Amino acid sequence: MDLAISAIIFYVLAAAALLSAVGVVALRNPVSCALSMALCFGFVAAIFFGMGASFIGIAQIIIYAGAVLVLFLFIIMMLDVKQEEPVSGSHWFCITGVVMAGMLAGIFCTATLRLPGATGGRCPVRVLVENLGEMNLGNKSQTTPPASPASYGGALPALCPEKHGSSDARLLGENLFSHYSITFAVLGFALLAGAVGAVALGRKLHRD
Amino acid sequence: METIWTWCCDVLRNPQWFYLITTAAKLVLVFAVILAFVVLSVWIERRVAGWIQDRPGPNRAGLPLFLLRPFGSKEKQPLSKLLQFFGCPPDGIIARLCRWLRLDREIPTFGLMQPCLDGGKLFLKQEITPKYVRTIYFIMAPMLVLGPPLVAAAVVPFASGVDTHFGHISMCVANLDIGPLWVFAVSGLSVYGLTLAGWSSNSKYPFLGGLRATAQFISYEVAMGLSVIPLLMVYGTLNLQEIVQCQADSGWTLLPLWGEGMSLQRWVLFLPLAISFLMFATCIFAEANRTPFDMAECETDLVGGYHTEYSSMKFASFFMGEYAAMVIGSAMVVTLFLGGWSIGFGVDAWLADCSEWLAVLCQFIMFLIKLLAFIFFFVWVRWTLPRFRWDQVMKLCWLVFIELAVVNIALTAVILYFVH
Repeated sequence: MDLAISAIIFYVLAAAALLSAVGVVALRNPVSCALSMALCFGFVAAIFFGMGASFIGIAQIIIYAGAVLVLFLFIIMMLDVKQEEPVSGSHWFCITGVVMAGMLAGIFCTATLRLPGATGGRCPVRVLVENLGEMNLGNKSQTTPPASPASYGGALPALCPEKHGSSDARLLGENLFSHYSITFAVLGFALLAGAVGAVALGRKLHRD
Repeated sequence: METIWTWCCDVLRNPQWFYLITTAAKLVLVFAVILAFVVLSVWIERRVAGWIQDRPGPNRAGLPLFLLRPFGSKEKQPLSKLLQFFGCPPDGIIARLCRWLRLDREIPTFGLMQPCLDGGKLFLKQEITPKYVRTIYFIMAPMLVLGPPLVAAAVVPFASGVDTHFGHISMCVANLDIGPLWVFAVSGLSVYGLTLAGWSSNSKYPFLGGLRATAQFISYEVAMGLSVIPLLMVYGTLNLQEIVQCQADSGWTLLPLWGEGMSLQRWVLFLPLAISFLMFATCIFAEANRTPFDMAECETDLVGGYHTEYSSMKFASFFMGEYAAMVIGSAMVVTLFLGGWSIGFGVDAWLADCSEWLAVLCQFIMFLIKLLAFIFFFVWVRWTLPRFRWDQVMKLCWLVFIELAVVNIALTAVILYFVH
C-alpha cells in the first residue's frame, strides 16, 4: 500500500478533527468543550489547506475560531458556568437523540457515497483540486467539457506548496457574486433580520 | 571535498529538498529578527519614553570592565593604558571625552544591555503559581499569547526574490496567496490567550481585564479587516509579495511618486487609501493592546489586567507577546502602506540589474529601517496620548470606524469604476 505524504497528513488531521469533535461532547468543563471545538475548527481548516482551498481554510479560522468561538467562550465565562450537571434523562430522551443522530449520519453517508467517483475508497473531489489551476477564470472559455463521472475520483491529491494559487479565493468570489449573487444577498438579509431580532430582544423595555 | 560538494548540489537540485532547506533557512532568519526586534523595541520604548519625559532612560547598563580581570587584565583602568599607548595626555580633550562616555569604567552599550538583563532577571525570579488558579489553562495562556504573532510573521515578505541556478527563492517564509488574511487570522488567535489568562486566574481584576481584552480584540478585528479592503481593491491581489512588488514598480501606497504612481488616477485614489491607512494603523494599536487602547491592562482600574497573577517567565511571555504583536503590526503597516521592502524611486530594478543578491540585501536593510521607524512611531504615540475611557474605545470602533470603513469601500469602488 503506497500512501502519499498528503494522504497520511489528511488521515491524521481527519482523525484529530474527529477526536476533538468527540471532546466537545464528552468533556465536562464547558470551557474545555469550547476549546476542543476551536481545536476541531483548526484541524478542519488544516484539511482545507491540504486540499489547496486556502481561502476557505483561512475563513474558517478567522470567522469560526477567531470570532464566533471567542464569543462562546466570552459568554461561558461571563455566566461562569460550573461543571455540567449529569443529565438524568429519560429513556425517550436517549432514544430520540440516537434516532436523530443516526438519521443525520445516514444522510451524510449516502451523500458522500453517491458522489460520482467515490468508489473503492477514492477521493471524490480530486478532479476539482486538479482543475483548480487550469480553469480559465474570467475568460469566456468556461465551456471546457466536464470530466466524465468515471474519472472524477482518484487518490488524494498530492500537496504542492508552490502550485496552490489565488485561484481558490478568485474562484469562490466569482461564483459567489455571479452565479449565487441573489442567494448571497438573501442570506445576508436573513442574517440582518437575525441581528435586528437580537437587538429587539436584548433591548431594555422602558416601563413608566 | 569534491564528493561532498556534488552531494550538496544533488540535494539542492531536488525541488522538494531545495524548498525545505530554503524555507528552514528563512524561518530561522525571520524568527531571529523578530526576537531581536522584541528586545530592541523594549529598549526603544524606554529610551524614547525617557527622551519624551526629559530624563535619560536606561543608558548605563554597559559591560563593566572589571569583568575583564579574570581574563588577565591586571590594570584597574585599561583606558589610561590605552591612552598612554596612543600617546594622548591623561587630561586632554580625548581623555575627558572618554571619561564622559564612561569608557574608563565600562564598555558602552547605550542601555542596550538593559532588556537582556531584565530578561535574565525575569528568568531567574521565583515562579509563583497561586493555589486557586485553573492550572492547565493558567499555563497554556502565555503560550497562546506569544505563539500567534511569531507564526503570523511567516507571510511577511522581507525582500524580493532571487533566481539561483537551483530554483527561485522568494524572500518570505510562506508566499501564501492569502497573506493579509493569514496575519489577521493567526494573530487573532492570541485573543484566546488573553481570555484564558483572565478566566483561569480566578480572581476579579484579571477576569475584568480578560473580558475587556476579548471585547476590544474582536471589535477591532472587524474594523481592521474592513479597513484594508480599499487597498486590496486597488492592487487586486491578496499576495503580500505581489502587493509589495506593485508598490516597488509604481509608487508606495502613501507615496506614489514614481512609475505609474504619478498618474492622476493614482492620486485620486490617494484619499481613500490615506483614510484606510489611518484606520488600519489605529486598529493595529488597539490589537496590540497599546496605550491609548490598553484597556485590558490599565493599572488605574485593573491592577495589572489579565496578567496580574502571573510572575517570572510567564509574565515575560505576555510581555514579549505584546511586543511581538507590535512588531508584526508594524511590519504589516510597512508592507501594505509604506512599500514593504522596496527602496523606491526605481532603485530596486536598478539594483536587481546589478546583482540580485545585493538588491535583496539592500531591500532587507530597508525593510528593517522602515520597521524601526514605525516602531518608533508606535512608542511616540504611547508616550504622547493619554489612555481613552472604555466606552470611548468601543464607540470609536463600532460607531466611527466600521461605518467609515464601509463608506470608504464604496468610495473606492466608485473611483475605480470611473477611472477604468
